[in-house]
Amino acid sequence: MSEGPASPGGGSHESGEHSPRSNIREQDRYLPIANISRIMKKALPANGKIAKDAKETVQECVSEFISFITSEASDKCQREKRKTINGDDLLWAMATLGFEDYIDPLKIYLTRYREMEGDTKGSAKGGDTSAKKDVQQGSNPQLAHQGSFSQSVSYTNSQGQHMMVPMQGPE
Amino acid sequence: MRQAGAYSKLLCGGISRRTGPHSLPLARIKKIMKKSSEDVKMISGVAPIVFSKACELFIEELTRRSWNIAIDGKRRTLNKDDVASAVIATDLFDFLIDLVSNSHANLVAGECVASNTNVFDSIF
Repeated sequence: MSEGPASPGGGSHESGEHSPRSNIREQDRYLPIANISRIMKKALPANGKIAKDAKETVQECVSEFISFITSEASDKCQREKRKTINGDDLLWAMATLGFEDYIDPLKIYLTRYREMEGDTKGSAKGGDTSAKKDVQQGSNPQLAHQGSFSQSVSYTNSQGQHMMVPMQGPE
Repeated sequence: MRQAGAYSKLLCGGISRRTGPHSLPLARIKKIMKKSSEDVKMISGVAPIVFSKACELFIEELTRRSWNIAIDGKRRTLNKDDVASAVIATDLFDFLIDLVSNSHANLVAGECVASNTNVFDSIF
C-alpha cells in the first residue's frame, strides 16, 4: 500500500494531513477495529491480552491481505478478458499465493451461505457455483465446529481440485 | 449503546446474521478491494463474502503466530512487535514485511513519520 504508514483505527484523523491523496477516509481503508479485535480474541487463550498497537497492525495487515489477493485475482481476470472478479478467482488467487489451507474452510462457508441464500433466492449465480459442489466430505476438522450444516456436505467430493480449473478458458 | 436498526444488515437478511457475530462488513471489504487496483472494475456479490471468512482465517492465523512469540517472551499481552516478528518469521506473510518494517521504523523514528510519508509520496 502506498498510503503511508499512518496508524489506523486509532480514532485520530490523520488522513488528509500529509497529502491530498491520503484524503481517503480511514473507514474506507480498514475494517472496523472492533471486529478485528473480536476475531483476534477468539484466537487467543482466555488469559491473553491484546495491546491497541497490535490490533492496529493487524488491521493494516488485513487490508493489505485483501489488496494482495484481489490484485492477483484481478490480473487473472484481465488475462482471461473478464471484467468481474468472482469467488473462484479469489480462491484461485489464495491458493496461488500460498493460502491453500483457507480453501476448504472457505468452500464450506460458501456452501453453507448458499444453502441459506438458496432457500430465499432460488438459483445461485453462475460462475461461482463450482465452489459449492466440491466440498470435502467429513474429513475436514472444520466440520466439527459447524454441525449446523452437516447436511450440506453431502455433495460429492470426487473432484476436490475442480475449482482450480479456470471457469472460462482464455479467449 | 446504539442498537442496530431495522434496516441494518445485522438484523435484516444480510450475511451478518447468517454467519454469526464474527463476519466483517461486506461493503467495507468491497471498498478495500476496489482500492487495490485500478483494474478492479466489477466484483461479484460473493467475493466480499469469501473475503469476510478469509480475513477471519487470516486474522486468526496471524494472531496465533504472534501469540506464540509473545509467549516465548514470557508475556501475555500481544503487542505490535509480536505481530511484526510473526510476519517476519512466516514465509506466507512475506507480502506484509514492508508494512510491518515501516511500522517498526516509525516506532523507532517517532515523529519522523510525517517526513517519511512525504518522501514516499514524492517517489510515487
